[in-house]
Order: sequence, then structure tokens, then C-alpha cells
Amino acid sequence: MRIQFETLGGFAYFPGLQRPLRIDTERLTTLQAGEIESMVRAANFFDQPGSSRPSGAADYRSYRITIEDGEKSHTVQVVESTADHSLLALIAYLRALGAKRPA
Amino acid sequence: MKNGSDAQRVLAEQTLRRAAEMRTARAAMHAERRAFPPAAAAGVPHKQRVIFNTSHTEKIPGVRVRTEGQGPTGDAAVDEAYDGLGATFDLYWDTCRRNSVDGAGMELDATVHYGTDYDNAYWNGERMIFGDGDGRLFNRFTIAVDVIGHELTHGVTGHTANLDYNGQSGALNESVSDVFGSMVKQYAAVPRQSAAQADWLIGAGLLMPGVRGVALRSMKAPGTAYDDPVLGKDPQPAHMKDYVTTTSDDGGVHINSGIPNKAFATLAISLGGYSWEKAGQIWYRTLTDTRLATASQFMDFARLTALNALQLYGNEGKQAATEAWSQVGINVP
Repeated sequence: MRIQFETLGGFAYFPGLQRPLRIDTERLTTLQAGEIESMVRAANFFDQPGSSRPSGAADYRSYRITIEDGEKSHTVQVVESTADHSLLALIAYLRALGAKRPA
Repeated sequence: MKNGSDAQRVLAEQTLRRAAEMRTARAAMHAERRAFPPAAAAGVPHKQRVIFNTSHTEKIPGVRVRTEGQGPTGDAAVDEAYDGLGATFDLYWDTCRRNSVDGAGMELDATVHYGTDYDNAYWNGERMIFGDGDGRLFNRFTIAVDVIGHELTHGVTGHTANLDYNGQSGALNESVSDVFGSMVKQYAAVPRQSAAQADWLIGAGLLMPGVRGVALRSMKAPGTAYDDPVLGKDPQPAHMKDYVTTTSDDGGVHINSGIPNKAFATLAISLGGYSWEKAGQIWYRTLTDTRLATASQFMDFARLTALNALQLYGNEGKQAATEAWSQVGINVP
């Protein structure tokens, strides 16, 4: 499974902070790969609607997740705090992974 | 709804139902706010601030921790949000006779301590939401009163011109928030700052020590606020010739806002005195001008500022406005 995770938007646009997080579960430990894959399943990721757009909101963050798994490929772009519980769990996990990256 | 698998249809239906529920709740809340209190609509300023704490979760709105009239709590984010909401209310009432965000005494809500390592603040359509920063790159976002004014102004724009949040109209939306946010900072300063004395920086004090920069944005000199190995270089243009065409950032709304920002700072400085006395009046009249369409481009906005400047201050005002816009490459006929 290949995952691309991006944080979009916010109060200001910082060119240096736009780096997408790219994960290939084949290069992770079995434990980590299993964790991610089960969260993706729990979030029903491939059936999630593609995007949501809030009305009247500004400076919010959105998360854009693209996942390729074999033949399947899907992108979800969701505004923060509007995602459902299980998608939020996946986002939190990916954010934590992103934070651990060297700058 | 017609295409897609059963599972997709269920999820799509859920999303639509949730969105509809939110819309109904929001409409009911708006109706409530407009009806109460009658005095507000009659022109008596109604300041009603409520601060909420989500205690590092993202479960909005959080717990109510300070309401209008209550004294400081000792929690810096709570107290800064309370003071900043008050300062923003005061600028709008004192200088524009605008009674809160909706012009009818609407309650001002802010949620603080949102999320963990949350380097952001935003307006969700109804309230402000503030993070505490990560402590390495960014400080807590309530520390900058212009950020508070910026977020509340998104609410004002939403109730008035409602500029589309993408492309040039979005950059105008962003710029209007920086303009009024900056005026809040200058108005709340002790002593008050004239346009010449102001630093015209947005979010000064938000960057942690060690970050190479002075602020998140500079209105007087767009593109110079920071140049840091981690953040990158401030991408804002100061002139139309450097307009950034991009699909990022909703078409560069936080990037190209530099152009109208510079026009305002230039106008305020050239007119002299305090920025809210004349330049701020021109901008406020334009923002609330019924001719300002939601999809307005820079030129549409500039034209209206020139017309409103003429109305308010005669030919001299109009000249100053058109000159300020020509400095950023918008040549008003």
C-alpha cells in the first residue's frame, strides 16, 4: 500500500512546510504496516467521499490523503475536524509519522 | 448518489445528512443570534464574548471557561483571546459603528488550546479556533492581537461582501482580514499607533526565537517577513507583475493578498494620521458596498475604493487611492 499525506491550508502559506509524507507499507515493519492497513480499512477509505468544502470558513487546514493499494487508488481531501472518527484516527497517525521526519 | 457502490452510497448519504443537519442547526443559531437582543439591532453596542477550551483535543466547541464580564482566568490563551475579541469589537464599533461581526451584536466565540502542536488559527464559519503552536517554530496564536482581528474579520466578510475564498477574490478576502487585523493591533496599542508608526507586520511575536523571520506577513514590504531553512522564504508578491498563479493555497489566497495589503498600507501612510481615520473608512465602505460582488477581482475592488474615496474625501482622496493601487500595478482608470 502506498500512501501520500499532505497538510493543506492554514493561516499562512509556508513553502518549506508543504512536503508531502510518502509511505510505502512494504518498507515498514510488519507491525507498522499492519497498523496502517487496519486503520485504512476501519476508515472505509476507498468509499469515503472525495472532498468536503466548508462554507464561510477561512484559514482552516485540510488533509489530502492518496492511497494506492494494488489496483485501487483513491484520494480524500477533508477539512480538519469534519472528518469522521475513524478517518480522524488515520489522519492523527499520519500526522504523528510526519512530525517524526527529519526536517 | 446514482453511481458508485452501495458502501459509497451509504457514506455519501451520511455526509449529506450530516451536512444538512449542520446547516439546519446553523440557520437556527443565526436566527437566534439576530433576534437577541433587540437593543443591539437598534444601534446599542452589544459586546458578548465567550471563550471555550478544548484542552488539546479537537472536539469543538470545548468547555466554556470565560464569559463577558468575568475577570482574567490566569490562562494566557483564554485571557488573550478575551482581550483580543474585545479589541476587535471596539475597533469595529468605535471607528465603523459596526455592532459585532454581523452588525447586530452577535456573540463572539473563541475556542483555545485546540489540538496538539497545532500551528494554526482559523475561522470555522461561526467561531475562532486557536492552537498553542508547537513551541519550536510557533508560539500560541492568541499572542498576536492582529491574528484575532484577522479571524473575526473573516466573519465580517462572510456577513458582508462574502468574497469567494479562491483566486483574486480569495486574496482580497485574506487581505481584508489582514487590513482590519492590523488596524486592531494599531488601535489597541498603548499608545495608539499612527500609520507611520505601525510596523504593518502580521503575526509578529508568533515565530519562536531561532526562526529567521519577523512575522508571518509584511503588509508594507510583502515577501520580506521570513527567510528560514524550515519555513522557506516568504512567497508574497508586492506587485501584480509578481502575481503567483498556483493551485496551492486555494489559488494563492495567502500569497497574493500581499498586493492589496501593500495598497492599503501605502494609502494609510500617504493619507497620514491613524489608519482607521480615512484609509480604514474607505476600505470598510468598500467591503460593505453592495456593488462588491463575491467574485470580485483586484481591479473591481480597487475601482470601488476609488469611488468610495471620492465620495468620502473628494478628489484628493480618489487620487491617493488610485496612486496607492498603481504602486502595486493595478491601474484604476
